[in-house]
Amino acid sequence: MVAAKKTEETHESINNRLALVMKSGKYTLGYKTVLKSLRSSKGKLIIIANNCPPLRKSEIEYYAMLCIVGVHHYNGKLQKQLEAAGTFPPSFLHSFLCRLGLGVICFSKSLKSYIP
Amino acid sequence: MVKFLKPNKAVIVLQGRYAGRKAVIVKSFDDGTRDRPYGHCLVAGIKKYPSKVILKDSAKKTVKKSRVKCFVKLVNYQHLMPTRYTLDVDLKDTVTVDALQTKDKKVATCKTIKQRLEERFKTGKNRWFFTKLRF
Repeated sequence: MVAAKKTEETHESINNRLALVMKSGKYTLGYKTVLKSLRSSKGKLIIIANNCPPLRKSEIEYYAMLCIVGVHHYNGKLQKQLEAAGTFPPSFLHSFLCRLGLGVICFSKSLKSYIP
Repeated sequence: MVKFLKPNKAVIVLQGRYAGRKAVIVKSFDDGTRDRPYGHCLVAGIKKYPSKVILKDSAKKTVKKSRVKCFVKLVNYQHLMPTRYTLDVDLKDTVTVDALQTKDKKVATCKTIKQRLEERFKTGKNRWFFTKLRF
């Protein structure tokens, strides 16, 4: 129970930061754009959501390893991430969010969301 | 944050006739050119991998088995999978974009690449590059 609480707390801070980034910074959503930003070395941080298919997740991690970009594994689904960020997922099926700004973390979310 | 699609990077071609083949980036065009307004690179790769040479083979057989068939191609970044490996073979002088203009030039450059790659294969270095990717 304590563990759950702790993750919730950290979630809060990440969510807050996410919201901040989404408002003020640059980011891209989605697998293709994230790869593009990695290739052009514009991405700064990648956020990968929970329900990203594992092959894709490892691919993104490999790219990130090559260009020395941090990867953050978000503990939750993309929808939740986006809700936290304040945008509502359009018809995204998966998203990587890649943050481009300097102070802002690039989120790369990879999420295959099962829209209920 | 670090650019990794640089010359001498070993790369796997993902699409096209040479899908699954390993290649080296010779020259990269990050911003593209007029004809190709996307990030792409000139790549020299292995069309036909050298087969496994065993101790039992005669000299003639080893020569035959260590043959490498090459290709030169301009590939979109999207159709490449970069790897952590590099291949330090000096191909910059021979492999240029205008080598792709005519068939003769292409064949000639492929021959020079073939020589250099075969040399490299025989030294036993970069073994990963010369093994076929199984999939």
